Amino acid sequence: MSQLVIENVSKAFGTQQVLRDCGLAVDKGSVVTLLGPSGCGKTTLLRSIAGFLVPDAGRILVNGQDISHLPPNRRDVGYVFQNYALFPHLTIRENIGYGLKIRRKPKALIRGKVEDALGLIALTDFGDRYPKQLSGGQQQRVAIARSLVLEPEVLLLDEPFNALDAQLRLSMQIELRKLIDRVGITSIFVTHDQQEAMTLSDRIAIMRGGRIEQLGTPLEIYDHPQTPFVADFIGRANLIPVAIRSGRTDSPQPIAAAVPDGPGTLVVRPENLTIAEGPGPGWEGSVGFATALGATIEYEIDRGVGEPLRAILPRQPGVAPLTPGSRVTARIRDEAAAILLSGSPRP
Amino acid sequence: MTDAVLTQPRRLGFARRVIDGGGLWPAVPALVYLVLFMVLPIITLLTFGFVTIDRGAITDGGFTLTHIAGVLGDPLVWNLMWRSFWIAVVSTCLTLVLAYPIAYAYGHLKGVWRTLLLVAIISPLLTSALVRTYAWIVILGGRRGLLNQTLLSLGVIDQPLQILNTSTAVVMGMTQIHLPFMILPLLAVLSERDRRFEEASLNLGASQVETFFRVTIPMTMPAIVAGFALVFAVSYTNFIIPQLLGGGNYSTLAVQVYEQTIVVLDWSRGAALATLLLTTCFAFVLAIVSVGGRLTRWSEVRR
Ligand SMILES: Nc1ncnc2c1ncn2[C@@H]1O[C@H](COP(=O)(O)OP(=O)(O)O)[C@@H](O)[C@H]1O
Ligand SMILES: [Mg+2]
Repeated sequence: MSQLVIENVSKAFGTQQVLRDCGLAVDKGSVVTLLGPSGCGKTTLLRSIAGFLVPDAGRILVNGQDISHLPPNRRDVGYVFQNYALFPHLTIRENIGYGLKIRRKPKALIRGKVEDALGLIALTDFGDRYPKQLSGGQQQRVAIARSLVLEPEVLLLDEPFNALDAQLRLSMQIELRKLIDRVGITSIFVTHDQQEAMTLSDRIAIMRGGRIEQLGTPLEIYDHPQTPFVADFIGRANLIPVAIRSGRTDSPQPIAAAVPDGPGTLVVRPENLTIAEGPGPGWEGSVGFATALGATIEYEIDRGVGEPLRAILPRQPGVAPLTPGSRVTARIRDEAAAILLSGSPRP
Repeated sequence: MTDAVLTQPRRLGFARRVIDGGGLWPAVPALVYLVLFMVLPIITLLTFGFVTIDRGAITDGGFTLTHIAGVLGDPLVWNLMWRSFWIAVVSTCLTLVLAYPIAYAYGHLKGVWRTLLLVAIISPLLTSALVRTYAWIVILGGRRGLLNQTLLSLGVIDQPLQILNTSTAVVMGMTQIHLPFMILPLLAVLSERDRRFEEASLNLGASQVETFFRVTIPMTMPAIVAGFALVFAVSYTNFIIPQLLGGGNYSTLAVQVYEQTIVVLDWSRGAALATLLLTTCFAFVLAIVSVGGRLTRWSEVRR
């Protein structure tokens, strides 16, 4: 049974509908990421789970129990804030022990748990400092430990890496995933960074305009996006508008279609395009831009209509990249890797 | 050659330092004003306590400690100081207890209600403290006072309450009149505060009440200390309110300063009392600030 279930949750602020019928089930011990552009309602959904705001409709269940009407202090759901929200007037030890003290646990037990938590986040020597005296990465670990000592059913993290610099981000992402695996806690984690989502999650829920557009493992979503939006958001993709007639696309390189006739979108990852010089069967255009990235070269190909195509090719040593302006033809390398969706690219 | 290169910027640096005056130039008009109209008069006043003045002129004999010694040796002065002190403490505490919920409510109100509350907080400042003190006489005064009239006609009491001309009246008046000075610093901090700290506390299992006492109040402690010190100082040194609401035989240290200087015309004793008033006020404020500093040590730390 799923440990956390979100059923048809909707929320409006005034006339603005921020969440529309969101549904999600999270298994015990797994990490689900809410991924979507800024303003799509990720924080609002997370705050609804924590009880900081009451949804207009829908239910939230933990271990099968409806918690929708409980106040936030009765929910047993840990929340790590975007800027950590460590209490500035309490030391690190007092911050971590706050929840236990509120629960009136014996002093000795609190001390033991706080020391264990400090050890877990490798900050034993920093226990008597105030939050302001710690770096961003250290504060984040404290914020996580402060929630974890209470052994909540679910841990919610709202863009926990946003305040960290790029260097620290990746190592903290890996650290966090290890920590979550070690304590085995069910987690929902919010980000607008797709790389972060791929690194951390068992499953990703792509959100858009208050709706969950697709839910799946990172690779499922990468390989089988169900909408052009998802295809574009996870990894980069060329979205080529096509028309489907009698089971084939009308594109220069026709693709067999399993979707009904009508407008369609051909989704091609840049690494699945090849380029040949001169005209030929495929998408003709001129090289607009070439970037040599060491092992690969990235080309931008202007077709005169629509958005330029992006292609990433392996670089052959000793062979100079094509110069901007050269006439080229792009083809899909492996037709099986092309994804055909019905509907136009940007509805 | 190297020396010249090294010393020249330093000399330039000195010139520059004078030119931008450590960033103090913009404060100069205010500083001049303060020195001319506050610091110098205070020094003059304090000096009067250490010389003998007769018919508006300093008599021969110069520096003397007799007035100060006379004041310090007078048990009445100590009694009055004690009264000034506890009236100020009680009234400041009441001010804080009343001001905090108002400032807190302000942070939770929106739109027109917020504006109305702000107007209600500030509008008393538009009338002079003297007028507001008289208003208290109208409310509290004798059988005809608003309070007694209302309570008598409602049958709540048979005999008029004797509040005017007691310490209670002084504390009540002081509390109301100084309320804005407590509300304003608290309001600034409470309405700007980041609610996420309170949400974090709720999330960690604390109730709204626990959150208020364990997070909201401690985090606004710097503003509480500032408001407390400010209101204590103005309450301790106020002479109008005790004089008018305390009645003819009622006195505090500040009232004594006024009476010795304006009524008795003993400027030297008045100045000596003023010296005592200012020094003790300063000492109490320092004590408040240092206790407060201990409570808010967390706000000073740096990485
Ligand atoms: N308390 C609120 N009152 C009014 N509008 C809000 C409130 N909270 C969020 N919103 C609006 O809801 C939308 C979604 O916000 P949010 O959930 O924070 O997005 P995300 O976290 O995905 O960036 C935004 O347009 C935001 O302006
Ligand atoms: Mg957000």
